[in-house]
Amino acid sequence: MKKINRCKVRMYRAGTGDCFLLKFYAGTRRKFTMLIDGGVWQGSKEYLTPFVENIKDATDGKIDLLVITHEHRDHVLMFDRCSEIFETFEIDQLWFGWTEDDGDPEVAAWKEKYGDKKKALSFAADRMNQLINDQSIRMSLAGNQAENEMYDAKVLFSDVVNGFSELHAAGFDGQKIYKGGLKGMEVVKKLKVNKVRYCRQGEIIKDIKNMEGVKFYVLGPPNMYQQVKKEHGKEGESYDHNKDLEVNDLFSLSVLKDELEPLKDDILPFDREFVIENDQMGKECFSVSNSQIRYEDPMKEWRRIDHDWLYSSGNLALRMNSLTNNLSLALAIEFEESKKVMLFPGDAEFGSWESWHKIKWHQGELKTEDLLNQTVFYKVAHHLSHNGTAASLGLEMMNHSDLVAMATLDFTNISNGWKSTMPNRKIVKELLKRTKGRLILLNDEEVYSDFEERELISTVIEKEKARMNDAEKYEFDRDFDIPKSIKVKTKGQIIEKPLYYEYAVDGR
Amino acid sequence: MKTTSKRKPNFRKLRAYAFDPSLSLKLDTAEVNEIEYTLPWEDLEKGPVGSYIEVIDYDPTIDRYYEAVDLNEPYILVENGIRPSESNPKFHQQMVYAVAMTTIKNFEKALGRKVIWSTRLLSDTTLYEEYVEKLRIYPHALREPNAYYSPHKKAILFGYFRSKASSLDIQMPDAIVFTCLSHDIIAHEVTHAILDGIFRHYNEPTNPDVLAFHEAFADIVALFQHFTFPEVLKHQIARTRGNLKNQNLLGQLAQEFGSAIGGYGSLRDAIGKVNPKTKEWEPAIPNPQDYKRTMEPHVRGSILVAAIFDAFLSIYKNRVADLLRIATGGTGILPEGELHPDLVNRMAKEASKAAKHVLNMCIRALDYCPPVDITFGDYLRAIITADIDLIKNDDQEYRLAFIDAFRKRGIYPTGIKTLSIDSLKQKELDIKFHKSNQGRSFSSNIDMNDTTKEYMAILNKYLKEYGDDIKYVTERSEIYRITTEYIRGNYDNPSGLVQGLHQRWAITIEEPGTESLSEMTGLAFHPGFENLGIKTDDQFYFPRFSIQNLRLLSRVGPDGNLLNQVVFSIFQKSGVVMNMDGTIGHFIPEVDPVPPNGFVMYGGCTLLFDLDDNSLKYIISKPIIDVEKYRLDGKYEVDEDRVRAQYNFQFNEGLEERSLYSKYFGVGLNNNFNEPFAMLHNH
Repeated sequence: MKKINRCKVRMYRAGTGDCFLLKFYAGTRRKFTMLIDGGVWQGSKEYLTPFVENIKDATDGKIDLLVITHEHRDHVLMFDRCSEIFETFEIDQLWFGWTEDDGDPEVAAWKEKYGDKKKALSFAADRMNQLINDQSIRMSLAGNQAENEMYDAKVLFSDVVNGFSELHAAGFDGQKIYKGGLKGMEVVKKLKVNKVRYCRQGEIIKDIKNMEGVKFYVLGPPNMYQQVKKEHGKEGESYDHNKDLEVNDLFSLSVLKDELEPLKDDILPFDREFVIENDQMGKECFSVSNSQIRYEDPMKEWRRIDHDWLYSSGNLALRMNSLTNNLSLALAIEFEESKKVMLFPGDAEFGSWESWHKIKWHQGELKTEDLLNQTVFYKVAHHLSHNGTAASLGLEMMNHSDLVAMATLDFTNISNGWKSTMPNRKIVKELLKRTKGRLILLNDEEVYSDFEERELISTVIEKEKARMNDAEKYEFDRDFDIPKSIKVKTKGQIIEKPLYYEYAVDGR
Repeated sequence: MKTTSKRKPNFRKLRAYAFDPSLSLKLDTAEVNEIEYTLPWEDLEKGPVGSYIEVIDYDPTIDRYYEAVDLNEPYILVENGIRPSESNPKFHQQMVYAVAMTTIKNFEKALGRKVIWSTRLLSDTTLYEEYVEKLRIYPHALREPNAYYSPHKKAILFGYFRSKASSLDIQMPDAIVFTCLSHDIIAHEVTHAILDGIFRHYNEPTNPDVLAFHEAFADIVALFQHFTFPEVLKHQIARTRGNLKNQNLLGQLAQEFGSAIGGYGSLRDAIGKVNPKTKEWEPAIPNPQDYKRTMEPHVRGSILVAAIFDAFLSIYKNRVADLLRIATGGTGILPEGELHPDLVNRMAKEASKAAKHVLNMCIRALDYCPPVDITFGDYLRAIITADIDLIKNDDQEYRLAFIDAFRKRGIYPTGIKTLSIDSLKQKELDIKFHKSNQGRSFSSNIDMNDTTKEYMAILNKYLKEYGDDIKYVTERSEIYRITTEYIRGNYDNPSGLVQGLHQRWAITIEEPGTESLSEMTGLAFHPGFENLGIKTDDQFYFPRFSIQNLRLLSRVGPDGNLLNQVVFSIFQKSGVVMNMDGTIGHFIPEVDPVPPNGFVMYGGCTLLFDLDDNSLKYIISKPIIDVEKYRLDGKYEVDEDRVRAQYNFQFNEGLEERSLYSKYFGVGLNNNFNEPFAMLHNH
């Protein structure tokens, strides 16, 4: 049997988010199809259908392996919008990280706890929206110098929190279902497949039918629950850097409280005797008069803090985002003979990258560093954000001269707040250096390489490409394919663009 | 019985934690964790609400008020306040009041004047601003591990949260941690508020040091305020027994103070850490590269904290050297067993005294800082200059200790050639006016043309009048009222007419035509100021400038010498554009729209005027114009180095080095429209 020695990586271009179709070849024969994620930040069923149809055409409706890296909207939304098409696929295997094994009691307990926070984030985001819509925020700032700028800053904050809320928790058909999984994820879990696998860090998966000569190394997710425990007790460790969600427990409690019900004991930080109930105010006004009069003084409304506490949701959002990113199923796919590696880390952040280096592979002397050294294709984690790619424990170990990278960043379809974190200039610079300009962006429109917005990233990439020698240039042009543009409908407009970019990884 | 002339007590004593509640659970620290804060007596309403602060215990997260403490209740009075307790919100109110007032009083003592909070800026352009009498404190305002000063609300919001214990022996698992019960956090936040009242523009990140300075300074105050409590030190010194030579003790202690409640510890990480192998605490070896490389405000700030702490340690070592010689008979080796309590007392006293001195030096230096764009180097110069001004005889070599500590960390001021006390001290001017029978006479140790002399004469008169008017005023609101009249001019009241400096200068001198004034201040007062992106005054043909931070201060030095000075800042804005070809252009702020790659560069100078001497002593400047170039070529051009540095930081380096939190939720580098300190603390 001939061994697999080539892989065509197709990056779909629906918007910021991951959807990768991998077709593995032995010589010229296609032997195996694999889909990693099906997500995008935003898109209607109508807009996404041509993309999913394209997956179907390219695979003849048969996917040998479906991999879902983690539960974020920009990795699973297509399943939500185009569930009917996906249901017609013939899928052999479905892989998740071990943290999606809902039958595991530890996972279930975690999900319950995590679900509460998800709900709290959504509630807080809703509340912030509401306060902007009913003019409460505008009124609370009235009279201040620069009140408009202050208002804009609050709106931006709220938009970004709402963006994070949607990333984590979007319900069925516009209905808010907060606690459970994203709808896209639920759809995936209900798909008919022959085999489900929950991958564990340190596993080496081989001998897959029709995949002779290819090995999968499971890099992440780390054994998170243990890691959370470990993060305690470090001297001087700040709570802010701590990924422990417990810090937000009290916040969640109060966001989720029922406005109409009397306050329960667990929500109060003190014994009830110290708390003045609102309905007692009239009767016992003697005991509070001073504070209340001062707080409610109409001339001093600008000093009130009625809503400020809701902004703690920003902290919660970031913490949840990092946590979920670190749950990403991260895979190194190796061509056995040449040892060349394709790296698909999902959106793994530093914490996960760091843990990869502690893995004992029990395969000769193999270290994770070797896998990184051998990486010839890198799916850039977390859309080129700073946290997505570890420096000394990641990128700086990718020193193969054939390195090509794909990044799923698209400024025309992206969450609020992301534009200021992506792309990270340092990472772009380092990637350009290491790939000699072979950095393929999902969409380079409007993306600048510098903060001054003087030079488009595409210009810089072209410049860097000049560093390739003739052979490298020839090979890259040969292996990189841009199909012809197709009309797609988005937000009532028809635009034309290639549905995907494809790069053929030479595994020889 | 009603008596109106009842004698009021001098002090109010209040019990509170010296650190935070976590240390009360450990037996060996419990006894020192509860101390009495001694505050000057003031009348208090329930809250407590005093003249400087109002504590309002409204918890918006559950929409409830907590019972407010009445510190005048007899039972509370006789017991020096409520007993420290985490579970009683009234104690929380008492503690924030006690620590906040202690911090305020420390500032007033060091600065020689009253603390006045920053004004609230209004949308109404005619009113412009509003006096804020009381800083508001909300002890239970957030549910997160954070506390912050809100410059918009003139309030401090404290958070509380549930924590897994950071170390199980000092915290109950799942206990609620209240940030308003940490001495360091309270002192830190109050310092932010006080600093905002002095330098509003220290929130503007114009270089990597500015925000770092705000954080570091707040931490320095918290740290050294801690060390002024001899009770705390005594206990620790006694514990170390023969290990007295090991000066690491104080460093370790400093760091422990910070880490007890998490987040705030990071500023003290640069002091040292526990060696994982030996389990011993070791001071960090300063690396000058850190100051060059690190941009994140906390990490950068920690370099300054470590430098000041290093200086403190040298001073302390110096102060106890003789005690150690006496105690060891000159051998340096102490006998076995416990230390003699007298020795412990004396050493603690020395440490506490050194801490007081360092705290005073650090605070006093503020009046010698430029009003904008501060760097750590500027701060070092300010410390040295301020100290020389007040304390002529530095027999304990404090200044050298500071210089050495900064040098080791690669912090050098720009524009000086050598690192010595003399070169670091700001150039002393002596511009004097005498009134005698022969009329006015003028003397100066620098050359200036006649127009400038005229300007200076007006300035001198203005400051003298202000000094005279405010000399005996003690009521803060009255100080504010008179000062504002002098800043803005008061034309509504013909009987008490006060002319602002703008009018005095602009009316007297029809055409701006003075070189020396521009040269001295570094600001654009010359003809053609418009070409440097400076707005013209609304009423006169004169460059727009503003006066800030006009204050009278009277300080007493250790020799009983008295220092009466008026300090104030002149402030100017220049619209600058960085053109594509690398040249620098200009626009007029508030008139022209901000062009792409355009930004406002702030220039300013702090002037110190000696009232007793009737002489202008110092001009500490962050120039808009390139003074050097003017001297060489006679041309007025914008200070290119400053423009490029600010541009590089604000459009490039700084943006990249922001915290993730501020990248997501902030608006660019400058988060002043949001809650800048909430952003800063969420790193």
